[in-house]
Amino acid sequence: MVVGAGGVAVGTEQRVTAAAHRPSRREAARGLLVSAAALALAPAVADSGPARPAGDFRGGAFDETYRGRRIRGSWVPDPAGPEAGGAWRIAVDGRPLHLMRRADGTWLSMLDHYTSYPTPLAATRAAVDQIGPRQRLRAPAPGPDGGEHTGGHTHMGGRHGVPA
Amino acid sequence: MAYLRKNVRTLTAGERRRFVDALLTVKRRGEYDEFVRLHIDYYTADGEDGLRAAHMAPSFLPWHRRFLLELERALRRVDSSVTVPYWDWTRDRTTASVPWTRDLLGGDGRRPDRQVMTGPFAYAAGHWTLREGVTDAAFLTRDLGGSDDHLELPTGGELRRALDDPVYDAWPWNSTVRHGFRNKLEGWGSGTGSASWHNHNRVHRWVGGAMLGGASVNDPVFWLHHAFVDLQWHRWQSAHRDGRYLPEGPPGAGDEQHGRVVARHDRLPPWDETPDQLEDVSRIYRYA
Ligand SMILES: [Cu+2]
Ligand SMILES: [Cu+2]
Repeated sequence: MVVGAGGVAVGTEQRVTAAAHRPSRREAARGLLVSAAALALAPAVADSGPARPAGDFRGGAFDETYRGRRIRGSWVPDPAGPEAGGAWRIAVDGRPLHLMRRADGTWLSMLDHYTSYPTPLAATRAAVDQIGPRQRLRAPAPGPDGGEHTGGHTHMGGRHGVPA
Repeated sequence: MAYLRKNVRTLTAGERRRFVDALLTVKRRGEYDEFVRLHIDYYTADGEDGLRAAHMAPSFLPWHRRFLLELERALRRVDSSVTVPYWDWTRDRTTASVPWTRDLLGGDGRRPDRQVMTGPFAYAAGHWTLREGVTDAAFLTRDLGGSDDHLELPTGGELRRALDDPVYDAWPWNSTVRHGFRNKLEGWGSGTGSASWHNHNRVHRWVGGAMLGGASVNDPVFWLHHAFVDLQWHRWQSAHRDGRYLPEGPPGAGDEQHGRVVARHDRLPPWDETPDQLEDVSRIYRYA
């Protein structure tokens, strides 16, 4: 796709490809990274189920079979130290599932983007509910350096080529 | 000369065919999948770091307005008579109404894999293979009405409650704000379950399948839905003459939202326009 710069108001012929403004790899990875500062601001949610103390997301690692699929999740602290936060690493039948955190402390998955759930486990189960029979999560795309994306999340981007 | 965006139920048979054909051409050229990727890339949630341009943010409306304009340009390069129609989900509320007809978007997904089997976007028709998605399914999926939880589309009354709010948006400018037109329309409620889905979000949920996930653009109803959402911004401006996009200026350095929202005169990535420039597009298109 070609993104016309200033096209709406000015109608210039200058064109910028989407790739030029594509979030950097670091920016893309930030989808998984929750800074300690952001978490500190997340209020406890009074009306989304039982009240939980802020920060308890670090516990609650899980490994279970849900609707015939193996779901695993654990909190992985950032190697830079506790100040840098960390990320939930989730796998469904071995393939990574990207979770996002809402400011109210709840969680969304890439499969269920318009509803949030009180815990990573609940969000993961809800994601499994959306995977049809004989379907799997898409395999993670190799990163630019040939390795996986940071945090092993499947940002689906990967193949960011723009048609000439 | 401004062009018209019409209610999809008023399109003639010829207009329906040309709209569908233009979409299929944009898809065949590989451009469509770029739209799917762009939308995925700009989904930043508000519990995370970084600028939120597209969702859980004041710029939800201008971002999608600009995104629709981009698609509409791609369609009009194929056929200059085509514009993006809108789906009024407060009126066309059943799985048998527009746009779920064979001459438009086709119908519901089948059991149990939710695969859309009818219309031009059915996998078997050969023109609509998903290349960007969360699962490895190559076919379009839907689950109209959320057959498991019998969801209703938002009502005119619920939409009215959003339109009646005279303030565009309010601090903290995210998914937790309880007042302001933007979040009432975008539809982030508190809690989980049916009561927490409103207006825009609820429609994504009602359509289900691809529309529920990060790759919702894979279902062409995305554009018809967002054209109707865009029309609400226009209606809100007509109802509240002094109503402007907020925040007017960027949140300061001490504000938790510093650097995380697009203010009225900030550039709205990935484009070079500002919300201010996108508030009035009447020179480009109007709604019939
Ligand atoms: Cu969107
Ligand atoms: Cu949407």
